Amino acid sequence: MISAASIALAASLLAGPDTPAPAEPASPGVPGEPGGPGLAILCAKALTCAEDAMVVDRAVLLVRDGRIEAVGERGELEVPEGYAIEDHGDLWVMPGMVDLHCHVGGTFDINDMVYQANPGLRVNTAVRPGNPALMMGLAAGVTTVLFIPGSGTAVGGQGVLIKTAPGAYEDILVRQPGSLKTAQGNNPKAHLLGCGPALYNWHIRDIFFRGRAYHRAWEAFEAGEGPEPARDITLDVFRDLNRGDAQVSSHTQQHAVVQSTMRIQVREFGIPTFIDHGSMDAFRGADLVAELDVPAILGPRSASWRSIGRGYDHDGRMMGIAAEYQARGHKRIGFNTDSPVIPQETLQLQAGMAVRYGLDDRGMDSVRGLTIVPAEAAGIGHRVGSLEVGKDADVLVLTGHPGDPRTSVERVYVDGRSVYDAEEERLW
Amino acid sequence: MVARLALTAAALFATCPPTPASEPGFALRCAKILTCDEDDTIVNRGMILLRGDKIEYIGKPVEVPAGYRELDLGAVWASPGMVELHAHVVGPGFDINDMVYPVNADLSTRPSITPSNSLMRMGTAAGVTTMFLIPGSGTSMGGFGVLFKPKIDAGYEECVLRDPGGMKAAQNYNPQRGAGDVGAGWSGLSWLMEEANNRAAAAFAQGRDDFGLRNLIRVHAGELPVLIHCASAEGVANTVRMWKVRYGTKCVVSHGSWDGYKAAGFAAKHGVPVNHGPRTMDYSRFFRSGRVVGGAAEYTAAGVPLFSLNTDSPVVPQEELFLQGSMSARLGADAYQMLRALTTHPAQSILVGDRVGSLEVGKDADIVLSSGDPLDPRSRVEVVFIDGEIQYSRQDDGQWF
Repeated sequence: MISAASIALAASLLAGPDTPAPAEPASPGVPGEPGGPGLAILCAKALTCAEDAMVVDRAVLLVRDGRIEAVGERGELEVPEGYAIEDHGDLWVMPGMVDLHCHVGGTFDINDMVYQANPGLRVNTAVRPGNPALMMGLAAGVTTVLFIPGSGTAVGGQGVLIKTAPGAYEDILVRQPGSLKTAQGNNPKAHLLGCGPALYNWHIRDIFFRGRAYHRAWEAFEAGEGPEPARDITLDVFRDLNRGDAQVSSHTQQHAVVQSTMRIQVREFGIPTFIDHGSMDAFRGADLVAELDVPAILGPRSASWRSIGRGYDHDGRMMGIAAEYQARGHKRIGFNTDSPVIPQETLQLQAGMAVRYGLDDRGMDSVRGLTIVPAEAAGIGHRVGSLEVGKDADVLVLTGHPGDPRTSVERVYVDGRSVYDAEEERLW
Repeated sequence: MVARLALTAAALFATCPPTPASEPGFALRCAKILTCDEDDTIVNRGMILLRGDKIEYIGKPVEVPAGYRELDLGAVWASPGMVELHAHVVGPGFDINDMVYPVNADLSTRPSITPSNSLMRMGTAAGVTTMFLIPGSGTSMGGFGVLFKPKIDAGYEECVLRDPGGMKAAQNYNPQRGAGDVGAGWSGLSWLMEEANNRAAAAFAQGRDDFGLRNLIRVHAGELPVLIHCASAEGVANTVRMWKVRYGTKCVVSHGSWDGYKAAGFAAKHGVPVNHGPRTMDYSRFFRSGRVVGGAAEYTAAGVPLFSLNTDSPVVPQEELFLQGSMSARLGADAYQMLRALTTHPAQSILVGDRVGSLEVGKDADIVLSSGDPLDPRSRVEVVFIDGEIQYSRQDDGQWF
């Protein structure tokens, strides 16, 4: 993409010394982008996903230096002098969506099943910024993803939080490590000669135990109370986890698995954890998850139904997974795709189908579950997930509610930069 | 004797009320009625009266006739029951693909149908009120399907709309596996299909009977439609060429997936309806130009006369037929036309448009009441009527899906 700034620069080079300078030299840079002048986005409705003002009608959104400067109603919030104005008429805006279970951030070889516990492996080496699958997601409003290893082993390695906009790795990086991925249930059972829940959970406990000891040894050293430990790149991630600077994204999809995740990762080790890939009948343990205030990111399967040989018999009914979590008092419900299992560009449909299957949406939980809930679960709620002052200007301009597939995303901004414009080239 | 009988009859009638108790009526209050009639009539804050198995009145609210049960669920939308032309959810065994010969024009799915089976019930509860239950695509002519109204806990006879409903034929790919011991290529398969068609057309022209081709002769007589499984542009074009241009049958292109839309102009020119799905998008272009193409948008833009959508259930679950419409609209098709693609268009394509597919006085009372727009997944189906009887009620039965 050629930015307006580079066009302006090229024009001044071509013009030569004799050409008079433009009468009103625009402040350098593109409105809204870092270093550029301010940008005012006008729309009919803003789903801000902020705690106190979920919906602002006839909204004005001020963006400057890649961040949100102000949000308010037209008439109440003045557009400052010199701001470029983009009036989107009847369209809506909302924060960019956040998908915490994504495998399409780069090359697909992200499932090195060396041991049952591989906490040192990092998928950030596989990131391909702006790859076609990420671009499709971006064009559908997914602006931040947690790109994670596969679930072939109990501890698959470290995920990385990135933005989907094209750019260098350093430009799109939100946080490394994004998470430590753990997995239980069927997938790690297939490792090598096979393994049962007792063994893969032993692997998880063992590595968490050693990781905590490693973290404590460093804490002691840094406090001047012990010798300098030997650096161990396999265990380094446990320093981030034990400090609360990263979370465990736990592939937690069955009732039994929910209980071991809560028992080991949350209660025994006290590591910030969120449920990822919440599917199947895991909702049966949702009251415990709610009690421990662990976010539940659900998908790719939105419903549980009778499946031959599995014994989830719901008397012939399909059970909406999000609805069942909600019915058990769980409030921090988000959605994921497990892309490419569900295409990255249909994250919004996970929320729409959750409502179809019974999620009470009067509090707009479907929209929060695509934005602020996953952002806070991943510890990046201060940067993304809502349209609030000081946050990254990751903004979607769309034709209606994101849960309705007929809604079209018309424009996407990431860090105040316009990165997708359906009018120029529509991807879907 | 005759006089006495007449007297008895008169006495009986005198004691009976004008509306027989066996023919109950319903009065449905709706926030919005999407009739899908020819004038695209939409009634806001309206009422539908049902009497027996037919629709008696649609319009502004009137006084509820005596003896009618009034149903007022608040702000519900009424829309026609959906019509699915490509359904295989006949029952637990799915044994609808007997690949006896390369062409099996005399087979029928009738014996395989288990009414009210678990997959079919989900479809009913999601508002699918007519299903064309067709054979698989393992051979070039799979046999005949049944047009079926999937009533809950009902017997086969109560559910049949038409039997045989129409024929199922198949082109490309799938029949290659059942066309003989070693399979066959497209030219061989076309020859086999054409050979059967030729025999049936000749029998019809000469007024001859042919036991094995009896139903296929009815296709050539224009009495029954034929639904042809085909994919890719060549498959769609071959289908139109053989079944419409050469034999003039009432044929419907089904699937038309991959890049089948590239032959949309040819189908449109010859007035052949297209029943699209389960795949409604073409990703192949994505890898070349980074764009996903919506099949529905392309077919409708080319002017295909009756464009409809299918699930190929259980390939896409029967209860997600509506979503084929929503996703097609997402990929560029007109949203209202996609409602027609689930209702009137498939009904007319399969020659039952006079009975089902739209909400009009005199038509079958197959009605879906939902909490909002029927194409929005956030809407919930509240009540489903088939033939004027409640099959599913979310309030009474609990949500099934």
